[in-house]
Amino acid sequence: MAERLSNREGIRGMANPTRYGIERVAYWLQRLTGLGLLAYLIGHIYETSSIVNGKVAWEKMLELTQTPQGHIILTIVIGMCVYHTANGIRVMLGHGGIGVGKPGEPEYPYKAASLNYKQRLCIWVSIALAALAMMYGAAVLFGD
Amino acid sequence: MRESIIMKIHYGTALAAVALVAVHILFRMTQKFSDSLSYQNVIANYHFLPYALMLEVVLILLSVHGFNGLRVILLELKQGVAYERAINYGSIAATVALVAYGSRTILMAGMGMS
Repeated sequence: MAERLSNREGIRGMANPTRYGIERVAYWLQRLTGLGLLAYLIGHIYETSSIVNGKVAWEKMLELTQTPQGHIILTIVIGMCVYHTANGIRVMLGHGGIGVGKPGEPEYPYKAASLNYKQRLCIWVSIALAALAMMYGAAVLFGD
Repeated sequence: MRESIIMKIHYGTALAAVALVAVHILFRMTQKFSDSLSYQNVIANYHFLPYALMLEVVLILLSVHGFNGLRVILLELKQGVAYERAINYGSIAATVALVAYGSRTILMAGMGMS
């Protein structure tokens, strides 16, 4: 029992993206971006609710959010959104058995067929798409 | 409800939300970003019934997807009957609360109660 408990890392283990390669980083980023997007959704719903209090309240809220800091946050949100979507589609396809390879005899060095180059490529493409979207978003927001 | 069905709902809400959020963003891109946020423009958006209905659907999809995602993360972190029950009911309550609060904005702004 004590040995089993000692293996439990809890939140520290979950927050650690290292040790298991790019797939673990993708898993970690998916959760991190998910939490970030949920926080943004709640903030966005609260922010837009100010419109029911009239024009003055709306413009006061815009003064708070339409700032360079606000644009930086929005740029990060764009990146999180694109990564979460692209990597989420990869995960969905993987759960459906698409792109994960065929099961085979376990042979040394015991590389899982599911962790293949297609999956790794998709993770890097998700990160690249997020970076591109952030650049485009920043150009639109700061170029206004 | 079985977890396999919940995951299908999770993926379904994700795919639908991606399509509708793209429309929501494109609406902001039809003009200069700062102009699209002007009071008159945003109120006009809420008065346009198809768009207001789309916002309501997006609100439901993202709330369900977001809080179910949070539920999955919290259940990965710790297990136990009481804990799991609290997380399950807590995420349902949070989803309902967020949808109710967002719907209030859509209804009030759409009906000109601002």
